[in-house]
Amino acid sequence: MNATTTQPHSASPSSTFATAPPMIKLTDIEKVYQTKTIETVALNRVNLSINKGEFVSVMGPSGCGKSTLLSIIGLLDEPTGGLLELDGRPVKSYSDKELAHLRNQKIGFVFQSYHLINDLSVLDNVELPLLYRAGVGGKERRQRAHAALDKVGLSARTTHFPSQLSGGQRQRVAIARALAGRPEIILADEPTGNLDSVMGEEIMDLLLTLNREEGTTIVMVTHDEHQALKTERLIRFFDGSQVQ
Amino acid sequence: MIRHLFTLIWNRKRSNLLLIVEIVLSFFVLFVVSSLLVYNVYNYRQPMGFDYQNVWEINLNPGADTTAYNQKLQLTMQRLKATKGVIGVTKTSSNTPFSFSTMNGAYSYKGKQMPYNDNFDADDDFRDVMKLKVVEGRWFDHRDAASTRTPIVINTALKNAAFPNEKAVGQIFTDEKGEKEWQVVGVIAGYRAASDFTEDAPLSFRRRALDYDMTKKASSYELPVLLLRVQPGSGAMLEKQLIKEISNVTKGWSVTVNSLEQNRVAKLKFVLTPLIVLGLVCGFLILNVALGLFGVLWYNINQRKAEIGLRRALGATGAGIGGQFLGEMLVVTTLGVVLGLGLAMQFPLLGVFGVASGVYLQAMLLATLIIFALTAICAWQPSRIAAGIQPAVSLREE
Ligand SMILES: Nc1ncnc2c1ncn2[C@@H]1O[C@H](COP(=O)(O)OP(=O)(O)O)[C@@H](O)[C@H]1O
Ligand SMILES: [Mg+2]
Repeated sequence: MNATTTQPHSASPSSTFATAPPMIKLTDIEKVYQTKTIETVALNRVNLSINKGEFVSVMGPSGCGKSTLLSIIGLLDEPTGGLLELDGRPVKSYSDKELAHLRNQKIGFVFQSYHLINDLSVLDNVELPLLYRAGVGGKERRQRAHAALDKVGLSARTTHFPSQLSGGQRQRVAIARALAGRPEIILADEPTGNLDSVMGEEIMDLLLTLNREEGTTIVMVTHDEHQALKTERLIRFFDGSQVQ
Repeated sequence: MIRHLFTLIWNRKRSNLLLIVEIVLSFFVLFVVSSLLVYNVYNYRQPMGFDYQNVWEINLNPGADTTAYNQKLQLTMQRLKATKGVIGVTKTSSNTPFSFSTMNGAYSYKGKQMPYNDNFDADDDFRDVMKLKVVEGRWFDHRDAASTRTPIVINTALKNAAFPNEKAVGQIFTDEKGEKEWQVVGVIAGYRAASDFTEDAPLSFRRRALDYDMTKKASSYELPVLLLRVQPGSGAMLEKQLIKEISNVTKGWSVTVNSLEQNRVAKLKFVLTPLIVLGLVCGFLILNVALGLFGVLWYNINQRKAEIGLRRALGATGAGIGGQFLGEMLVVTTLGVVLGLGLAMQFPLLGVFGVASGVYLQAMLLATLIIFALTAICAWQPSRIAAGIQPAVSLREE
C-alpha cells in the first residue's frame, strides 16, 4: 500500500523522533469476518505507520473497515493475519491480562455514540480507566478525573448522569475519560458523527489542542472532509484497502 | 473497586430491588425449612431414653369376655414371665412407643398450671423392660401400693419446668381444682417414645396396677397392652409359644404381637412422608428461585454487553469482569440476606412456635449459607459469559 497524502504542518512532530520506531506499525494486516453464510474481508493487507505525536484522520465509505482498523490498533480485536507493532514491539500472543494492561495504559477510546455507562455519574465515568490501573488510589483518581473534566469544560457537571447531558457534553465526558488515563494514543471513531456542526467543531478543537499541547497521538475516523483537512495526515480507505 | 460496586448497585437500585426482594423471599422460605430441618435433626440426635430393641408389644382384646378379667390378665403375665426367652413383662397404656395414641393433660403445682405433658401408665416392671434411666429418686415399687396419692415418675423436662432449683422427689402435683393429687417418687432422664423426631417434652408415668373396672365397657385405651423384653435373636418360635401361653389362659381373647422395631419403622414412614413431601416442594421452590435468579442475571448481562465491552476497552480483564458481576451479586445477596435476617429474627424474639432460639439461629446460619451458595451457583455461569464477551463485538456502533 502506498504512503498517504499528508498535510505537512510547519514542523511534523514525527521528524523529531526519526530514529525511534513508529508508535503504531501495521504490516500486511488482514481481518476476515467469518459468518455462517459469508466471509467478509474487512481489512485487506493494510500497511501503515503512525509516529508518535501524529494526528491522523481516516476517511472512507461506510463499511470499508475503518472501525475494524481502530479496534485492531486499540487491541479490541485480533487481526486474522499480519503484524501489529506498538513502539516497535509486536503485539501477538499476548495474554488477556497483558492486553488489558496495554489497553489501559496506552490507549484511550472515543466512540461515535460515546459509550458512557448510564448508571454512573459523569465523575464516576471519567474515573473508570483509572479504576483498572494498579497503584492509583481513590483520591488520585478523583483528582485526575476532576482535572480531565476541567480540560473539557465540564467541571460543573460532575454529579450529573449521562442522560442529563446533551450529545456534545456526553462526547466531552467521553474525551475526559480518555484523558484521565493519560494515554499516549487516542483512537476516535467518528467522534463528531452524532453531533451538529457547532458541537462537532468544539470536539475537534479539543482533540487538536490535545494533540498540540500534550503530544498525544490521535487516530480519528471521520466523514467530515473539512475536519480531516485540519489534521496532519489523511488516510483514505476503500473496501478494506488503503487507497492513494 | 468495592466502592465502585456499591455506587453501581446504588445507582441501579431500581433493577436491583426486584432481585433483592426475590432473595429476601427465598431466604425466608429457606429459613422456615431450615428451622424445621434443624429442629428435627436436633431431636433425632437426642437420646431416646429407652431401648426399643428386643421389645415386643402384645395387644390383647377380651372381646365380650368379662369374667375374671384381672385374674386372667395376672395369670397371663405370670405365664409369659416364666416362658423361656422372655426377660421381663410390663403392662402399660395403649400409648406405647411409636404408637399412634397419646394421652395428655396438665398438672398444677402450687396453684400454677404446668405445661401440657404426656401421660403413660406404668407398673413396677416398666423401667427394667424399657431400660429407662432414673436420675433422681426411684422407679415405682411395692412401697407405692399403700400410697394415698398416685405415685408418678416424671422426666427431667417436666422437672425443669416445674421445680428447676429444687428436688423433685416428694413434690405434689394437683389437678386444676386441687382435688386430685400426684406425688413424684422419681425422675428419669427422658423418654422420647412417639417417634425418632419427637421433642424431649415434659411427661409423667403414673403407677397403675391391675385395677381395670370391668363393670364398665372397656374403652379402647383401656384394653390391656403388654411390653415384653425378649432374648436377642428371638423370632417366630417364641412368638408362637407366647400366643399359645396366652390362649391357654384366656380362651377367645384376640392376640397380636409386634416388635417395637417394626412399629418404629412404620412410625418413621408416617412421620417422614410429610417431611419428604415438604422437602420436595421446597426443592422445587428453590429450583424456581434459582432459575429466576439465573434468568435475571442472564438478562442483566445481555443488557449490559455494551458496558462490559467498554470496561474491557478501558483495561478490565475478562476475569475482572467476571469478578465484578460475582461481586455485584454478592453485595445484592448480602443486602437481601441482611433484610431476611431482620425478618427471621422476629421468630426467636417473639417466641413463635415455642422452639428453642438455638434452633432458629442455626436455621438462619443454614439458610444464609444456602442462599449464598445458590446465588454463587446462579451467578457463576452468567459471570463467565460476561468475562468472555469480546470488547470489539459489544462496542459495535448500531
Ligand atoms: N463482527 C462482525 N462480523 C461480521 N462482519 C463484520 C463484523 N464487524 C464488521 N463486519 C463487516 O466488516 C466490514 C467493515 O466494517 P467496519 O469496520 O465497521 O466498517 P466502517 O467502520 O468503515 O463502517 C463491513 O462489511 C462489516 O459488515
Ligand atoms: Mg465504523
